Amino acid sequence: MIQKDTPIIELKNVNKFFGNLHVLKDISLQVHKGEVVVIIGPSGSGKSTLCRTINRLETINSGEILIEGVQIPEEGKELAALRSQIGMVFQSFNLFAHMSILDNMTLAPVDVLKMKRKDARAEAMRLLERVGVADQANKVPSQLSGGQQQRAAIARALAMHPKAMLFDEPTSALDPEMIGEVLNVMTELAAEGMTMLIVTHEMNFARRVANRVILMDGGCIVEESEPDTFFSDPQTDRAKLFLNSLNK
Amino acid sequence: MTISALLSQYGDRYLQALFETWKLTVFSFAGAFLIGILITVMRVSPIKPLRVFGDFYVQIFRNIPGAALLILLVYALPYLKIVFAYRVCVLIATTLIPSAFCSEHLMSGINTISPGQIEAARALGLSFFQMIRRVIIPQALRSTVLPMTNLLVATMLTTSLGSQVPLRPMELTGIVSYINTRSAGGVAAFAISAALYCATALLIGFAGSLIDRKVRILR
Ligand SMILES: Nc1ncnc2c1ncn2[C@@H]1O[C@H](COP(=O)(O)OP(=O)(O)O)[C@@H](O)[C@H]1O
Ligand SMILES: [Mg+2]
Repeated sequence: MIQKDTPIIELKNVNKFFGNLHVLKDISLQVHKGEVVVIIGPSGSGKSTLCRTINRLETINSGEILIEGVQIPEEGKELAALRSQIGMVFQSFNLFAHMSILDNMTLAPVDVLKMKRKDARAEAMRLLERVGVADQANKVPSQLSGGQQQRAAIARALAMHPKAMLFDEPTSALDPEMIGEVLNVMTELAAEGMTMLIVTHEMNFARRVANRVILMDGGCIVEESEPDTFFSDPQTDRAKLFLNSLNK
Repeated sequence: MTISALLSQYGDRYLQALFETWKLTVFSFAGAFLIGILITVMRVSPIKPLRVFGDFYVQIFRNIPGAALLILLVYALPYLKIVFAYRVCVLIATTLIPSAFCSEHLMSGINTISPGQIEAARALGLSFFQMIRRVIIPQALRSTVLPMTNLLVATMLTTSLGSQVPLRPMELTGIVSYINTRSAGGVAAFAISAALYCATALLIGFAGSLIDRKVRILR
């Protein structure tokens, strides 16, 4: 995929170690505006770590990570400001347990973006409406189903007007009957042009929504192609093996 | 002397002593609470010297006997040309010791917060202090109402240290020695103070469980 504009997310030769464990091996990757990139791969291959380095929840040992061409700051206000521009959705939802859904939604817009509380609430309700949990706005997270919590968590990230969103296995903690409702929200987001980097095991979703699929294994990107090619005509033996293992 | 005789003769003084105990308790606990929060923020901060200091502080004041601390404040500090009034010495002792326990409770409250929430807060761009103020301390407080209630009772009992120095007005334990040096009040003089301590503790416990039921975090 050749585009002249600066990528929203760019990794250049990124290496990451946990002690002696080499978890990310010379990873280079670009995500352009409006692109949906899906990362798949076996457990322990470094997918979560890759995601988390992008907003510096994990530091890296070498290489560069650029957001719209600018290197991510190491710490302090600048780092916080950068993080506020990248939405992140976790496997375990991670809503703040002591706050209503609505307060979860308005916390960062009010505290970080300095929005007026009234405006933040109005916007929060609009977003909750959009993901279909507006009727739960005054409940606390534990009163919601997993699917509702995850949709609220997506809305909470959207409330920051992120330039891009990172999803780390957003449906892996959900009961099967709730996976669809979360994937639908993500599909809509993609259709609206949100730039997304998604770690998932949902292959049908990847096939339908992704512009590009990346297979990771052992800390390396082993294959990177358009979904049609990836799923029907994988180039590497590793990808063939992985796809076979899914069909069993 | 019988309890009724003691009450008719010293009732006013007991009442005054009860208020004094309450006053010492409220001031000490408020101070302990603020210092406890401050020390806890240090203990979870990203700055290592602050963490070390916070842990050290807690180890010291959690393990020093109240009487020993009071003796240091009253008799040792003057050698450093620092002289506090007796009342101030008592208040310092009854604030510092509970502040260490307050921090311990808050730390255990913080441990009930899932690490994912902290990551979510960071990912949303909250600064360390925003995260402390909006996510960490509120949850730590709401999950430690019952231990804090016990700490308030313990603080009240610690204010009996006030009986070891000449305090005016006297608190509930001091009043017992005062009465017993004047009249032969004996055990009855103690019993009245004990009943007043108990009644206060019961009130605190009742209020604590009401608050706990109200603010407990559903998980
Ligand atoms: N905080 C950590 N400390 C040490 N090792 C870790 C840590 N996080 C992940 N790892 C290890 O790094 C490797 C990659 O982990 P991860 O990125 O979570 O993989 P994936 O998301 O693909 O399952 C695994 O071997 C994992 O055990
Ligand atoms: Mg993972």
